[in-house]
Amino acid sequence: MSGTRWTRRNILGATAVGTVEVVAAGRRALAAPAIVKGSPLTYWGGLIFSEKANRTLSGSINAWGAQTGVRTEVVMVNQNDTVQKVSAAIASGTMPDALDVSLDLLIVLARQGVFLPLDDLYVSIGAQNGGWMAPVDKASLINGGRFGIPFGVSGNMLIRRNDVLAKAGFAKPPATWVELVAQAEKAVKPPFFPMGLTLGNCGDGNTQISVLQSYGGRIADDAGKKAAIKSDATRTYLAWVKDAYDKKLFPPGVTTWDGAGDNNAYAAGTVAFVANTGSIGIAARNDDPELYKGTLYSALPAGPLGVVSPIAPQFRVIPKTSRNPDAARALFEHLARPDYTASYYANAIYGPVLQNETKLAVFDGKDPILAGLLDLVQRGTAPAYPDVFNAAYADAYNNFVIPKMIQRVVVDRWDADRAMDEAQGRIQAIYDKYA
Amino acid sequence: MTRRQALWAGRAASYASLCLAALLILFPVYWMGVTSLKLPRDILRTPSLWPHAFTLNNYRILLEDRGFLLNIRNSLMVAGAVTLIAMTISSLAAYSLARFRTRFRGAIGRLILFAYLTPTSLLFIPLSIVMAQLRLSNSLVGLVLVYLTFALPLATWLLQGYFRGVPRELEEQGMIDGLSRLGALVRIVLPLSAPGLAAVAIFTFTGAWNELLLALVLISSPGARTAPLALNDLITSDTLPWGPLMAGAVLSSLPLIVLYFIAQRFMVQGLTAGSVKG
Repeated sequence: MSGTRWTRRNILGATAVGTVEVVAAGRRALAAPAIVKGSPLTYWGGLIFSEKANRTLSGSINAWGAQTGVRTEVVMVNQNDTVQKVSAAIASGTMPDALDVSLDLLIVLARQGVFLPLDDLYVSIGAQNGGWMAPVDKASLINGGRFGIPFGVSGNMLIRRNDVLAKAGFAKPPATWVELVAQAEKAVKPPFFPMGLTLGNCGDGNTQISVLQSYGGRIADDAGKKAAIKSDATRTYLAWVKDAYDKKLFPPGVTTWDGAGDNNAYAAGTVAFVANTGSIGIAARNDDPELYKGTLYSALPAGPLGVVSPIAPQFRVIPKTSRNPDAARALFEHLARPDYTASYYANAIYGPVLQNETKLAVFDGKDPILAGLLDLVQRGTAPAYPDVFNAAYADAYNNFVIPKMIQRVVVDRWDADRAMDEAQGRIQAIYDKYA
Repeated sequence: MTRRQALWAGRAASYASLCLAALLILFPVYWMGVTSLKLPRDILRTPSLWPHAFTLNNYRILLEDRGFLLNIRNSLMVAGAVTLIAMTISSLAAYSLARFRTRFRGAIGRLILFAYLTPTSLLFIPLSIVMAQLRLSNSLVGLVLVYLTFALPLATWLLQGYFRGVPRELEEQGMIDGLSRLGALVRIVLPLSAPGLAAVAIFTFTGAWNELLLALVLISSPGARTAPLALNDLITSDTLPWGPLMAGAVLSSLPLIVLYFIAQRFMVQGLTAGSVKG
C-alpha cells in the first residue's frame, strides 16, 4: 500500500485537477466533431503526378477510417476532369462527402452555395500549426468566409538547366526577366533554344500574365471591373517578349504549344528555362537522373514592379449534401497533422500551407523541387495579384487573352498598340458579362 | 514507250501510291508500338525509329501496377453488350421503318438521326441525372444503357439503308412458302444484309470501345473503369508518361484489330454471297 494520506489539501488538489480535466474533456467533446461509427464517407481525392503521394493520401484516409470506425471510400479523380465530374455530380445529387478542388472551382462553387462554411475549422487548424502562410490565407478568403481547408500550394516556378547555365558563369537564377534573356543569350545558342516559356493558348501560356503584371501591366482596374490592359507598362512588356522572340531565344512553334509543350522540350533537353510546376522534376528524378541533377528551381524572376509569382492552393471541401460532415471535418483535421503532412509533402509536388510545415524535414532545402516550392510560397503572390481574382478575371484567364495578344505581336507582326487594342476589347467584353 | 512498258509504269505508280498511303497510315501505328518499347529517357531525349534499348517496363507498369487487364475486360463487356443489344433492337426497328408504311415513318426516321446527332457534351449532365435516379451511376450496366442511347439511333439509321436494298419480292416469296414476317427477317433479310450488319456492328463496337466523356462522368470506382478511362488517368499532369500511354494504346488497339480482321472476311463473304444471289 502506498502511504498517501487523504489530507484536506490532497482532496482539494485532486478535485481541482479533476474539475479542470472534466471541463477540458467537455470542451474537447463539444469542439470535436461527433463521428458515428459505421457511417460512410466518400472522398474524391485529386490525382497528382506522384503515384506515391496518391497512395499516401488514400492509404492515410483508409487507415483513419479503420481507426475511427468510419467506412471510408477513397476515389482518386483525375484533376483534369474534376470540373466535368463535379458538374455532373452536383446536377445528379451524387456529390461525395468530401473532395479536393482547385481555387478556381472553389470560388465558383462556394459562391453558388455548394460547400459548407469551414471558418471555425480553418481557424482551429491554423492555430494548431503556427498559422497559415500569408498568400494562402489571403487566397482562401472567399466572400469573407472560408469554404475550404488548404492542403498544398502549387504554381509555376522557374525551372532552369543549372548544368548548362553554370558553365556559362550563371550560378544563380536570373533575378529579373531582363537578366533571364541576358543569360539565355549568352549561355546557349541554336539549335538549343533557351527560353522554353510557352506562348500558346494553354494554362502555362498564362504564366505570361505574371510577367506582364511584374512589368506593371494589369488585366483590369483596382475594382476588378474595367479592362486596363492598354498601358505603357504592357507596351514595355510586349517589347521585351518581341525582342527575345526576334533573337530566336524561344523554340520554333512555342506559340502553338499545348500544356505539355514546355515539359516535352525540357525533358528532351532542348531548352534551358521553363516556367512550370515541379512535375518536370519528379519525372526527371525517375526517368532521367542526369537531367534531374542538372536542374534547379526558384520563384519567377522580377519585373520592374517586383516579383509576381502566383500560387495555386488546393483545398479540401465539404459539400452541403455531404452525408457525414462531422466525419469529414475530423478527417481534415487528421490530414493537417504533421505526421501525415511530412510523408505527403515528401512525395507530392506541393509547397506548404501552414507556418509549422515549413519546419518539416522535407523542406530543409535538400530536395531541390521542394526547396523551389517553399521559395514559391514564401516569395509568391496571391492568385491574380495585383489584379482582383474574380469570375471575370478567371474567364479572361481561361480565354487566353494575353497569349493571344503576344501571338499578334510576334507571329502576326502587329504593332503593340493594335494588339493591345484588340486585347482591351476582348477583356472588356468579358468583364461586361459580369458587371 | 511500248504498251507493255506503259502497263508496268502504271502498275509501278499504283504500287508506289499504295505504299505511300500505307506508310502514312501505318507509321503512327509503328511509332506507337516502338515508343511503347523504349526507355522513358530515350523517348524524348533521343527520338529514333528503332529503340536504343528495348524494355517491357511500360507494359509492366500498365499491367502490374495499374491492372490494365481489368479495364480491358470492362471495355470488352460494355462494348460487347452494347453491340449485341443495339444490333438486336436496331435490326427490328430498322426493318419496321424500311418495310411498314406508317403515317410518321419519315419523321420518325429523321428524329432518330437527330437523336444521334445531339452532341454528347450537351447530354452528359442530363444522362448522369437519369442514371443517378435509376441508381445506375458508377456501374457498367448504367454505362451500357447510356451508350445505347447513341448506338441505337445510328445503328437503326444505317441498317434501314441496307434493308431497303434487299428486294421485297424475296421476302414475299418466303412468306408464300410459309415463313412468318419475323422468319422472313431472320432467314432472308438479315443474311442478305450481312455486310451491312457487320459494318454497323463494327461501328457500334468501336464507338462504345473508344468513348471517354460519359465514362468519365459516370464511372468513379477504379474497378469499373474502362480502358480509355484508365489511359486518361495516366495523364495526371502536363508531364506525359509516353511509354505507358503508348503501351496502353497498343493493348487497347488489339481487340479492335482482331475484330476488324474477322469482320473484314465476313463482309467480303457477305458481299460475294449477295452478288451470286443477285
